[in-house]
Amino acid sequence: MKRQIGTRTEIYDNNSNIAISIKNLHKSFKLPTEQAFGLKQAIFNRLRGIKGYTEQKVLKGLDFEIKKGEFIGIVGRNGSGKSTLLKILAGIYYPEKGEITINGNLVPFIELGVGFNPELTGRENVYMNGALLGFSNAEMDKMYNDIWKFAELEQFQDQKLKNYSSGMQVRLAFSIAIRAKGDILLLDEVLAVGDAAFQQKCADYFESLKTKNQTVILVTHSMENVRKFCTRAILIDNGKIVQSGDPQKIADAYTKLWS
Amino acid sequence: MGIPRVLNRKNRILLAELTKTDFKLRYQGSVLGYLWALLRPLLMFAILYIVFAKLLKIGGDIPHYPVYLLCGTTMWSFFTECTSQGIQAIVNRGDLLRKISFPKYIVVVSATLTAVINMLINLVVIIIFALINGVAPTWSWLLIFIPLIGLYLLSLGIAFLLGSINVKYRDITSIWDVLVQALFYAIPIIYPISMVASTSATAAKIILLDPIAQCIQDIRYFLITNETITTWNYINNKFLAAIPILITLAILIIGAIIFRRKSKFFAEEV
Repeated sequence: MKRQIGTRTEIYDNNSNIAISIKNLHKSFKLPTEQAFGLKQAIFNRLRGIKGYTEQKVLKGLDFEIKKGEFIGIVGRNGSGKSTLLKILAGIYYPEKGEITINGNLVPFIELGVGFNPELTGRENVYMNGALLGFSNAEMDKMYNDIWKFAELEQFQDQKLKNYSSGMQVRLAFSIAIRAKGDILLLDEVLAVGDAAFQQKCADYFESLKTKNQTVILVTHSMENVRKFCTRAILIDNGKIVQSGDPQKIADAYTKLWS
Repeated sequence: MGIPRVLNRKNRILLAELTKTDFKLRYQGSVLGYLWALLRPLLMFAILYIVFAKLLKIGGDIPHYPVYLLCGTTMWSFFTECTSQGIQAIVNRGDLLRKISFPKYIVVVSATLTAVINMLINLVVIIIFALINGVAPTWSWLLIFIPLIGLYLLSLGIAFLLGSINVKYRDITSIWDVLVQALFYAIPIIYPISMVASTSATAAKIILLDPIAQCIQDIRYFLITNETITTWNYINNKFLAAIPILITLAILIIGAIIFRRKSKFFAEEV
């Protein structure tokens, strides 16, 4: 049962203007066909010669490069492989085949508030979430007040997180997330939540990233954001790149997928 | 791929924060809070002491038998807590594994470190009990850290080995629970090893080849009384006496290798 593995290499090369390069990336998942997990099922399956899973090909050979300073939008239907691509870039999943080279320090946000625990207070959760982003206690101490001020939740610091509304949790998580600094940011649907005021804050944040020439990869369903912020967009369908280039054209092509 | 980035700055921060959170959550919402870390082994000890020392009158010939018993039960709790928490760590922290990328061993180590903290608190209690019971403090007390580290490394090895299988086959958790129950009686915790030795020296020697028994007897030897039978003073053949250590190392190394190989796919499988 040896699985083939592609490579994901991290380099720090200031002379190259390539931030990410992906060559012939493949990924498939083994989806168990039986509901019951367990040893009994595994033994039965082996005896009967049943595989016990079906193979789902998610990414079928992607090739692309991202240059430093680009704001890339990755769009596509649900199940097209966008999030899988992002998770492979983030180093959460292993590439099955292909070569990925990442030049610089990459900070992924697959979800806001990773590691948030409802039984802990807001304060404790901020430190925990900060640690997951790589901030030490001392660094968090310095940012601590700014985080709460930006989230506009100062008076709830010592409440347990389970007493926060979901909107409040997202605001707090976002407020921590934007402190993270890296050469490349990966953002997955971070904007899908929150009220109008929060959406505005997100837009401001994106605007600031764009003016700073930060390398960003944004996975989104919002064509408005693609048109407004991206310098380039990539349309993925059924595990392959359908089109890549001008964000306006890609946004149009995306809308046409349904017509 | 490559050598795992052993405790660099980022991983150290993460390990410390996860351990702190685990420990806090353990006693979250209970009235007595951290006191339970002390109370649990003490209550367990009280039950065993009443049943075995008072009702069944076992261990009368061992000096400081209550402390001897408490020491054994505490170390046993440490082993079971360490392994069961460690085995389930990957599954329990599945949400993290699916969303951020970090060396997976950190969650296993942080889960076991909580057990280490509990054990160290209990060690203080044992020492207080020992002093009350009239055990004279000696420099050999410091040596208990050698068998303690041995016991920890064994637990960690088991956690790595079974924890990586548990991701796919959750039966491991249940199997381990039963196995631990059986192991409890195979190790001289509630009964003194001298009881076994008086009927069959071979049986006693086989029991002492178990690394858990070896560690617990060593701790008792260094801490309480040098009349304790240990693997070293009971098994004359030095090669045979090294077996417990070799078992520990083998489990740790095999566990680490399997864990490292399987950890690449934890995020997909958990």
